[in-house]
Amino acid sequence: MSAASVACQAVQLTDWHQLLAVIWDFLSLSLFSLGGGNTLLNEYHHMAVDQYCWLTSRQFADIYAIAEAAPGPSSMIVGLLGMGAAVKEGPLWGVFSGLMAEIAILLPSTLLMVAAALSWNRLRHSPWRLAFERGLGPITLGILFAVGLKILHISDHDTPAYAVSLVVCVLMLRTKISPLWFMAVAGLMGALGLVNR
Amino acid sequence: MAEVATTPPTHLQLFVGMQQVALSSFGGGLSAWSERIVVEERQWMSKEEFITGLTVARLFPGPNQINMAVYIGSHFRGLTGAIAALLGILLLPFSLLMLLGLGYYYLHETLAVDRVLSGVITASAGMALSMGFKIAGAYSRDPVALLLAGASFLAMTVFHVRLVPLVLVAGPLAMAWYWPREPKR
Repeated sequence: MSAASVACQAVQLTDWHQLLAVIWDFLSLSLFSLGGGNTLLNEYHHMAVDQYCWLTSRQFADIYAIAEAAPGPSSMIVGLLGMGAAVKEGPLWGVFSGLMAEIAILLPSTLLMVAAALSWNRLRHSPWRLAFERGLGPITLGILFAVGLKILHISDHDTPAYAVSLVVCVLMLRTKISPLWFMAVAGLMGALGLVNR
Repeated sequence: MAEVATTPPTHLQLFVGMQQVALSSFGGGLSAWSERIVVEERQWMSKEEFITGLTVARLFPGPNQINMAVYIGSHFRGLTGAIAALLGILLLPFSLLMLLGLGYYYLHETLAVDRVLSGVITASAGMALSMGFKIAGAYSRDPVALLLAGASFLAMTVFHVRLVPLVLVAGPLAMAWYWPREPKR
């Protein structure tokens, strides 16, 4: 354990003020989820590991993998973050906190999406839309590379692990094989001790 | 061209339809299943309307597939329709995820679970790394875009700038640069 993790004081979510502060953090991140939401992963890591100390970096890598492997939108990782914040208080608190976090991250973007769906005919040829689409695209690209590097950094700790990640990355780009196969094979390699933390 | 249903789906139908999308896509391919069920099976929308919806869902903040459900719901029944569709697409996957999460938080110190996960995370890290490369091709001929992408990347990784201030500063600058100009004749 490093000195930083000792200094880190886990937030008590059973304290209502803290709970509201955390809900506010997720609410305010919601409208910044560009490019389908994966751009927020660095912020989630910062919140959960550095700021609130709910999880270790290693646990963050684990729940990212679980959210990717589980059916449904992978952005549901927020539910697992919320759960990690309160699960020490018991399973019901964990589920409640996970649900609150998920609602908070989805609420603002959902309301905006409803407004967009209802007024799309006026928006579609607006210069704002074109500028937003073209301008935010490259920024999203840069952020996605930063996120990829961060996840790689917290997940891989030896040469075989980095090699597996690079092979998976190339196969993701060059083939249409379901990512579930990559996770199954890599999981087996972990069980056999071929890749380690 | 498929016929489009004349009566819009009810709240219950939106909920059930989106649940069918969620269930069918266990194992992947949410987007394809969504189109198959909404356009072909239930014929709520034409293919063109569906593609318009996808454009809006990708453009606005929020997870694309969830935004698409919200778009479909609000297209037919406004805010309450959006909520019905959202609940439909999230209920089962989210419940399952909560169960997996409880399993993880109570068992992650077990040696077997830890070893399997230490393998699985190498694959998911590779998947995360591929996200940027997947969309990079679209910008390869635009030096300003590459500069913006590079600057955003460096700001985050080297200077540890947080996402919100980064987007608030770089976003308006980029939008100003890309503001559509009158075509030159």
